[in-house]
Amino acid sequence: MKKQQFIKKVTLISIVTIMTTLLQAQAVNMAEASGTLAGIAVMAVQAKANLANAASSGDIDAIADAIKRADAVDSAMASAQEAYSKMERASAGNDEDAATAAADDLEVARQNAFDALNGEVPEPTPQSKHDQWKEGQKNTGGGPGRAYDPPNIYDVPWQTEGLRGFYQGLFGNFWGASSHGGGHQYHGGHEYDATPE
Amino acid sequence: MKRQSCMALILAFGLVFIGGLSVVQADEAIDQLVNDANESIAIAAAEVEEARIAIENGKQLMTQIPTDSELIGEVKQMLFEVSKEWELAINALEGAKQGASKIVSASNEEIARDYKLLATVNSGVALAGAKVVQTGLLFVDAVANNKTESLDIIRMAMQDSLAATSQVRFNYERVKALIAEKYSK
Repeated sequence: MKKQQFIKKVTLISIVTIMTTLLQAQAVNMAEASGTLAGIAVMAVQAKANLANAASSGDIDAIADAIKRADAVDSAMASAQEAYSKMERASAGNDEDAATAAADDLEVARQNAFDALNGEVPEPTPQSKHDQWKEGQKNTGGGPGRAYDPPNIYDVPWQTEGLRGFYQGLFGNFWGASSHGGGHQYHGGHEYDATPE
Repeated sequence: MKRQSCMALILAFGLVFIGGLSVVQADEAIDQLVNDANESIAIAAAEVEEARIAIENGKQLMTQIPTDSELIGEVKQMLFEVSKEWELAINALEGAKQGASKIVSASNEEIARDYKLLATVNSGVALAGAKVVQTGLLFVDAVANNKTESLDIIRMAMQDSLAATSQVRFNYERVKALIAEKYSK
């Protein structure tokens, strides 16, 4: 009996110790993440100082390069802040996977800021052929091999009020009959509820 | 019986060896923390020194600006910001040195890591402050030497720097609060 009580006590103490260690580790991670965020903000200050130096020298190319770098650092800072917010939310919700993913994002942002300040400014990732094709399908208005988007009826090329009213009326009736605009009908610019109430 | 004694002896040796290895690894980790902290302090100290030189030059530049210059008000405002940042940078550098000095005497690696973090972030505050001082004095230089075409960019850079510096300080306070919270439990 005494043995069982002893085992229970040891188990309880072990659980409390493990939980305390985990909580401490979590606090360390957030503190380190805040430190990383501070470090990226320092890089932003350095990038602005470099820009001011370039401006003082009057070298146009140097100014253009410094602006590019400062913008890239600012962009990394924005990504870092977003990652930190995600990390905070994940930690609060005890979602360890999400917290780890956010910590990875924060590290990527820190590396991007460092590269922007000291080395190559990160260029946008080149699109794959598939991405280019997907991009080509957007808002094209049709054409061979391209997706067809209905033209904007509020921008009818014919500049006559009659035709414009006709097309807008058609759209209103179509909208009213659809699930999005159900219950509303379009009558010459006035809307009526589906029921008298 | 002999076999049992032999096994116990091997186990004891194993434990002593692992213990010794752990102590060596912990010492190496502490050394690395001290090196990292000292490196960040050295970088910040160099920038603070640059800022001090810029302030010395700024005193001379101020004599070149006519008192009736239309930019004199802005220059005074810039110098006001510069003096605030300078004071913060000096204090932060001192704080960084204090933090780094406590790494070795920390009772365990966890606490040593926290002192290293405080030292590094304090160095960041000092570095950012020193850079803002340098940027502010570039504005004074531009006014004194009639580099009017660069004024707009330097002005904008200074405003952005002040905003980013406040981010540095905000995060430093957050680091301090999180570490304090950890040890108050």
